[in-house]
Amino acid sequence: MLLEARGIVKTFGNVRAVDGADLAVEEGELVGLIGPNGAGKSTFFDCLAGNLAPEAGSIRFAGLESTRLSPDRHARLGLARTFQVPVVFAGMTVLENAMVGAFLRHESRARAAQKAAEALEFTGLAGQAEMPAAALGTAGRKRLGIARALATEPRLLLLDEALAGLTSSEIETAIGLLARIHARGITLLVVEHIMEVIHRLTRRVLVFHQGRVIAEGSPAEVTANPEVIRAYLGRRAKRGEA
Amino acid sequence: MKALFPRAGFAAGALLLFAAPFLTANPFYQRVAALTLLAAISASAWNVIGGYAGQVSFGHSVYFGIGAYAALLAYAKLGWPPIAGLPFGIVASFALSIVVGLPSFRLRGHYFSMATIAIAALAGILVTNWDFVGGAIGVMGPARARSFADLLFRSSLPYYAIFLCVLAILLLFTRLLQKSRMGFYLRAIGSDERVAQSLGVPVRRYKLYALLISGAFTSIAGTLYAVMVGFVDPNSGFGILISVNMVVMAALGGAGTLFGPLIGAAILVPLGEATNALWGARGIAYVAYGVIIMLLARFSPGGLAELGRFIVKGWRRRAA
Ligand SMILES: Nc1ncnc2c1ncn2[C@@H]1O[C@H](COP(=O)(O)OP(=O)(O)OP(=O)(O)O)[C@@H](O)[C@H]1O
Ligand SMILES: [Mg+2]
Repeated sequence: MLLEARGIVKTFGNVRAVDGADLAVEEGELVGLIGPNGAGKSTFFDCLAGNLAPEAGSIRFAGLESTRLSPDRHARLGLARTFQVPVVFAGMTVLENAMVGAFLRHESRARAAQKAAEALEFTGLAGQAEMPAAALGTAGRKRLGIARALATEPRLLLLDEALAGLTSSEIETAIGLLARIHARGITLLVVEHIMEVIHRLTRRVLVFHQGRVIAEGSPAEVTANPEVIRAYLGRRAKRGEA
Repeated sequence: MKALFPRAGFAAGALLLFAAPFLTANPFYQRVAALTLLAAISASAWNVIGGYAGQVSFGHSVYFGIGAYAALLAYAKLGWPPIAGLPFGIVASFALSIVVGLPSFRLRGHYFSMATIAIAALAGILVTNWDFVGGAIGVMGPARARSFADLLFRSSLPYYAIFLCVLAILLLFTRLLQKSRMGFYLRAIGSDERVAQSLGVPVRRYKLYALLISGAFTSIAGTLYAVMVGFVDPNSGFGILISVNMVVMAALGGAGTLFGPLIGAAILVPLGEATNALWGARGIAYVAYGVIIMLLARFSPGGLAELGRFIVKGWRRRAA
């Protein structure tokens, strides 16, 4: 097992954002994580990547107890992530952004630049390498987030809504990119709202609701699961009232 | 041509900087020139932590004061030439960086900035009430040179030359830093700590490195000041204005750029000295500071460096 989490709990005041969540991902898998807004997916990611310390539960990554390790230790062990709201290092060029990731495994500047250029090439950003990163639009920023993470040469990549806010043609490109990342042997755990993307990319999906996994299976199985339907509909019904 | 231009411009600038005070026989101008370089050293040192790493210190006067007191205490207590206090100042600056940095860099946000303000206030009070270091009266350097090592000169030109060497070393060092992994890491931290850390940057450790470097060079500036002026008291060593000067100069020229702090110092020091000489009042300089800070915040948060880049870009676009 590459990543294994048991009984993770994380609360904010009296909001139980993650409430006893379990997860297991095998090396080489591409796992989807879906769930209604506010289900706790991003908070769960923060726990898995070391950005937040869970109040209960334990996480093992790459054979190590990783629950309390810092995000940079996670990165060193081979866990990379993107953030739901894409942030770029605004004072740097696109290439320099990717170099920050590449420096993790390559101290020499020339070597880091080369590795970063490869990551940009792979993600289709090679043409914008010398552009200020701040000049990128949403699609470009999301891709740069992925390129930067890839430049750390990870074993596992956590993507938090990497495709949200993209146009349909950009989504096509992004689906192709995720498939190519997976084909390179990188394990992927992706949070995604767009069901079509989940159907096309993954064989195994976890459904998150109120801080825990309520269903698991193939995309077809979970979308037919009455509990899952209730979770999504319940949310919608509540919104309808408001 | 494009590639040649910055290099030629750089060489011309360096030459001018070196020759400038030798072109005038006026001791006032020479002194202003030397003080400008000294301020540029402080502001460039501040820039490592405050500019590149984005951790704004409002208490760097403490490092300056440590360096200045180390020099004059080495003379007053041990009878050494003031410059011999330099390594003591550096060691003390390291200790301070660890004491301030270790706890405050644990936390994200403005804790570090607040800690620097508190430390600066405390240090001022401590020094004022500590008789061993001269209390409110301060410490004097040698009245006349016992040997060359006292570095006591009537003219400001020798000081100018010394400061220029130190500034050159500091800027060269900063340039190397900028190009290295550490430079990238500091800029990443300054831009977004959370993302930097997720890319494998050990944020806390690198902030501490930056503070150690920044503090050490600031203490060197303090030592040089004490060597030149031959006197330091709590206000001229630990005064809040010293910290403010570093921040404003770096911000005016461009924080996080190589030459920004030097540019800021080259504008503000002559301005301050001129208003002081003309009207005998420092107050005017403060008003000017306020106006500069407001204009910067409104029009060019990246300082003159950003403004310059913007203008050059527009000019190139027109030419093309
Ligand atoms: N830093 C925080 N402080 C307080 N509450 C938070 C914080 N972060 C998240 N929450 C709350 O925790 C719950 C889970 O949020 P989270 O962002 O993890 O959900 P999500 O599944 O990622 O939702 P979305 O699909 O909208 O991204 C929400 O109720 C949210 O308001
Ligand atoms: Mg989310």
